[in-house]
Amino acid sequence: MKKLMMATVAAGLLAALPAKAEYQAEHRGGTMRLVSHAAAGTIDPMINYTLQYWQLYQGVYDGLMSFKKAAGADGFTKVPDLATDMPVVSNDGKTYTFTLRKGIKFSNGADLTTKDVVASLQRIFKVSSPTAGGFYSVIVGADACLKTPATCTLDGGVVADEAAGTITINLTRPDAEFLDKLALPHAVILPADSPTADVGSVPLPGTGAYMISAYDPNKGMTMTRNPNFKVWSEQAQPDGYPDTVQYDFGLTDEAEVTAVQNGEADWMFDQPPTDRLGEIGTKFQDQVFLNILTAWWYAPMNTNLAPFDNIKARQAVNLAIDRNALVNLFGGPVLASPICQVLPPGFPGHVDYCPYSKDPGEKWSAPDLEKAKQLVEESGTKGQKVTIISEDTAVSKAIGTYMQSVLTDIGYDAEVKPISPNIQFTYIQNTNNKVQISITQWYQDYPAASDFLNILFGCASFTPGSDSSINIAGFCDKDIQAKMDGALAQGVTDPDGANKVWAEVDKAVTDAAPMAALFTPKHIDFVSKRVGNFQFNSQFYWMVTQSWVQ
Amino acid sequence: MIYAILQRLAQMIFVMFGISVLVFLIFFGTPGVDPAARIAGRNASPEVLQAVRVSFGFDQPFYVQYLTMMKKIFISGDLTSFVNRGWKVVPAVLDTIPVTLSLVLGAAVLWVVFSLIIGVTAAAFRDRWIDKTLMIIGLIGVSMPVYWLGEVMNLITQSRFHDTWLFSWVPPLGYKNLSDDPKGWFLTLVIPWITLSILYIGLYGRVLRASITEALQEDYIRTARAKGLSETRILLRHALRTSLIAFVTLFGLDFGALVGGSALLTEVVFGLQGVGKLTFDALQNLDLPVIMTTVLYASFFVVLANAVVDVVYILLDPRVRTS
Amino acid sequence: MQPVTVSRGPWATAFHRLGRDRTALVALAVFLLIVIACLSSPVYAWWAGVDPFKSTLDAVVTIDGVKQPVMELPTTGLALGYTPIGPTWRLGNYFLGADNQGRDVMARLLYGGMNSIVIAGAATAFTLIFATFFGLLAGFFGGIVDIVISRILDVLWAFPVYLLAISLSIVLMTQGISIGPFAIDSGSLLLPIFIIGVIYIPYVARPVRGQVMSLRQSDFVMAAIGLGAPSGRIMVKDILPNVSTTLIVFIPIMMALNMLTESALSFLSIGVQPPAASWGTIIQDGQTLLYTRPWVALAPGFMIVISVLSLNVFGDGLRDALDPRSKIKLGRG
Repeated sequence: MKKLMMATVAAGLLAALPAKAEYQAEHRGGTMRLVSHAAAGTIDPMINYTLQYWQLYQGVYDGLMSFKKAAGADGFTKVPDLATDMPVVSNDGKTYTFTLRKGIKFSNGADLTTKDVVASLQRIFKVSSPTAGGFYSVIVGADACLKTPATCTLDGGVVADEAAGTITINLTRPDAEFLDKLALPHAVILPADSPTADVGSVPLPGTGAYMISAYDPNKGMTMTRNPNFKVWSEQAQPDGYPDTVQYDFGLTDEAEVTAVQNGEADWMFDQPPTDRLGEIGTKFQDQVFLNILTAWWYAPMNTNLAPFDNIKARQAVNLAIDRNALVNLFGGPVLASPICQVLPPGFPGHVDYCPYSKDPGEKWSAPDLEKAKQLVEESGTKGQKVTIISEDTAVSKAIGTYMQSVLTDIGYDAEVKPISPNIQFTYIQNTNNKVQISITQWYQDYPAASDFLNILFGCASFTPGSDSSINIAGFCDKDIQAKMDGALAQGVTDPDGANKVWAEVDKAVTDAAPMAALFTPKHIDFVSKRVGNFQFNSQFYWMVTQSWVQ
Repeated sequence: MIYAILQRLAQMIFVMFGISVLVFLIFFGTPGVDPAARIAGRNASPEVLQAVRVSFGFDQPFYVQYLTMMKKIFISGDLTSFVNRGWKVVPAVLDTIPVTLSLVLGAAVLWVVFSLIIGVTAAAFRDRWIDKTLMIIGLIGVSMPVYWLGEVMNLITQSRFHDTWLFSWVPPLGYKNLSDDPKGWFLTLVIPWITLSILYIGLYGRVLRASITEALQEDYIRTARAKGLSETRILLRHALRTSLIAFVTLFGLDFGALVGGSALLTEVVFGLQGVGKLTFDALQNLDLPVIMTTVLYASFFVVLANAVVDVVYILLDPRVRTS
Repeated sequence: MQPVTVSRGPWATAFHRLGRDRTALVALAVFLLIVIACLSSPVYAWWAGVDPFKSTLDAVVTIDGVKQPVMELPTTGLALGYTPIGPTWRLGNYFLGADNQGRDVMARLLYGGMNSIVIAGAATAFTLIFATFFGLLAGFFGGIVDIVISRILDVLWAFPVYLLAISLSIVLMTQGISIGPFAIDSGSLLLPIFIIGVIYIPYVARPVRGQVMSLRQSDFVMAAIGLGAPSGRIMVKDILPNVSTTLIVFIPIMMALNMLTESALSFLSIGVQPPAASWGTIIQDGQTLLYTRPWVALAPGFMIVISVLSLNVFGDGLRDALDPRSKIKLGRG
């Protein structure tokens, strides 16, 4: 369920599928039937922040930029979408100039113009998009927009030249990740007359190959072909195969598995429950696709609260956890791999590092209970009461229960409290709730080390007393922060050099242990027999409309 | 009479008011449920959080928020969810009514028919082995946790014996519309109907047996016997008829509660998108507008059923006088 | 109309009558047997050499001389999943198999039963005490007191139990609660006891109120009032003993009801906190294993059915014995 709220993007390092073939017209048509346990909230692409809908928006909306619709890590490549080419960057990386494509129509028949682009970028602030402050505040004029969203103009920040068909965006400082941010669904281009408030369950017109024609959060969503769509870039917005995509909500995970097995549905959004894994892994193995995610499960420890205000206590926890056991609880070594550090394998800046192992080195091998007990003894925190807050889902609860057992072993008076997954994530962030240690996950927004290190352990992400304080550990180290700021600046001109610095930051954070890294999960896609041409895109997962059903 | 009705009405309103206030206070008194941060999305900056707070009115005093919410439920009917934004709650609740009604009506038919059979048979053979057996079976029905029974039913019909002739007809979980697919509607509901009705068959069979037995001690039955009427006739025409009063009142209360969403666990286990499931999902999401609406809806039926039963009781049984 | 041939006291009569009700006695015996089995859970765990509260994912069990890991990774197909051992049907050796933490389900079942019974019993006591208190007040004083109490009971009765339970559980389970000198520690058994106890107060308070109302009109109470006895004294000395039959009849029935409620609340994750267990929470744990290892969920379910059934049968007998003309109406409205 957490995925509903926060899952976003991943890197498919396994997916070494062949390069995309020509469009095969004989497979065109039919209805792709998707099922999920629940809807994922508002359908407004500028507000929705869930993997579940971001995956679908790929075929519905376009931004100036987009991630390439290709299998595997190639999906991380940024390509021009509604812009004809990559932007011209000038003014020391602070000015981006895009040329808008001509002849593109929205699904409601209106022509795409530079006015729509300006209005859309303003709309990010007017509707208080969740990332308005985090991602888009670098645009000139954004400060005023954040203060009074209703009167947002981005004056001087976004300038359109209607005659020339160009858009110029001015930034307050160079930003190495700006094009990534523009390629996310929060920056898609909508008609200029779109309401400047969350549209909720009323679909907005887009420029993609499909349009959302019906949506009821209690029942389902229907996507049909956009009658005004013509292919302008195979890489950015290819044509799709099914005529209709029907997404139904409300089944339990168990029932979803049964439905896909019996061919009554073509794909399930939710991860199959653990007791069905054996069955689908043997009887249906041709219909299962596994892809590694650039994400992690971790246990943030509150560095401002006893006993974890003591670094030795935090390191002891890191040493004591049997990460293999956790991997097994998640579904076995095929579905996850142990990790000790922040950056996931294959991520920019990742260098294997694991100090918390029986034999410290690059990879985790086994827990070291003796050393952990000794550290707890030295820290003087032995016997203290520790409460683990886990989510009330099967896997998270199992991990919480297991950690309770481990913490008891190394000398704490530990207990575990599973709470509703929808509350847990905000609950553990708020310092008022005095959470000592919790279990949570983080999925990348876009492939950049800062998205893990600076967001999860940067001083700016720590807001005491707020439900939105993603630095759950409350970790703020001046030296590490300075290093991160340096890497951010360096990234604009020298991405490789910056990644070396990020690797050092990763090491430093891991050593300071504001969290216990647990494992890197893999994603399971379970499809029906008739689904063909399955392709997993590292950025937005399975490309729904690029598969066929006949 | 009119005074009595008005008094009843006032009581209903008071109860619903009390419940809505309690729901509201409990909701905002619970840590971690502040909807602002969840609405704003993960890692929202403080400015965005504040903008959301203002646009949803969370910065206003509680009583203003409460009144706004009540106005949106009862007057404008445009209350929207905190989780699935823009989703209108009142129509959503109305949409789930056919599902819940289908489930409850079908189960009610089953439990009325079977409990009548069991109750009358047991009373006719009272204190003999057949009576004792039936009563124990009834008690077993009462003693099973309904969701557990539902899970076991699912295990049997969806998994373990799904491929045998016995249960191969059982369709996957979920609800099908009566108008689109009458056969599918019926087949998907058979197992839920049985599951839901088992508890009530046991309960009502026992209640009926007890009240028939009691009625058989009454003077008018003796008179009937003295007149030489057959035992079957006495049982069915006279004893059963008076016993039905207790039966009907109980039925009214349970039916009201079930229509209001008390079939929650059954709906959840069988994936039926009824009022109960809606409530359950809203509770999981802590979606206050939906919780508030479904709770008011449910309590309305509970209170209404109470009132109706009182009136029916007076009409059916002239011996009862209002105090 | 009371037969005048009473040679024993009313209690002795009832006791005698109960003694002849074989079905009720068997039911009582079954229930006591379950209680004893649950009380002996520490002995069982010691004998079986398992710790029912500790995750033992790497435990190994020896069956017929063959060593077998308690948690197994599959080796065929894609090798997905992590499955606990199924029932071995050997007492003391994972009789009912293991749960997803590699813990002996049989040992947990017995420990869990203890918690379930304690919760059901304590919640019953809680309900009866408060219901009697409110029922007495409302029935005896009538008027405004009655109206206020009755309306509060109405609200409580129509209030959605699940919402109350979920909210309370978030508040209480994470932070505990302190009202004046009383402090409920977060995660203690007192929490489910409190929730279940509160929600059934109207269920008992209403019949008590009705009975007190009619007793209030009876001659001996009128006489006592006429003599100027203080209200409290009349309530305790004259009315309470007459209500006690009703309360006793309620005990097994409430226990049964509470046990079912406890399991339903556990289904919604409100109840005993892990790693401790109750039958309800074991069923909930077992749900994630329902299709592969159904016994984890089936066994506690059967235990609940048997316990509740025996309580109900005994409750029937008790009512017949104490109240043969069934004056006490156990409606549900």
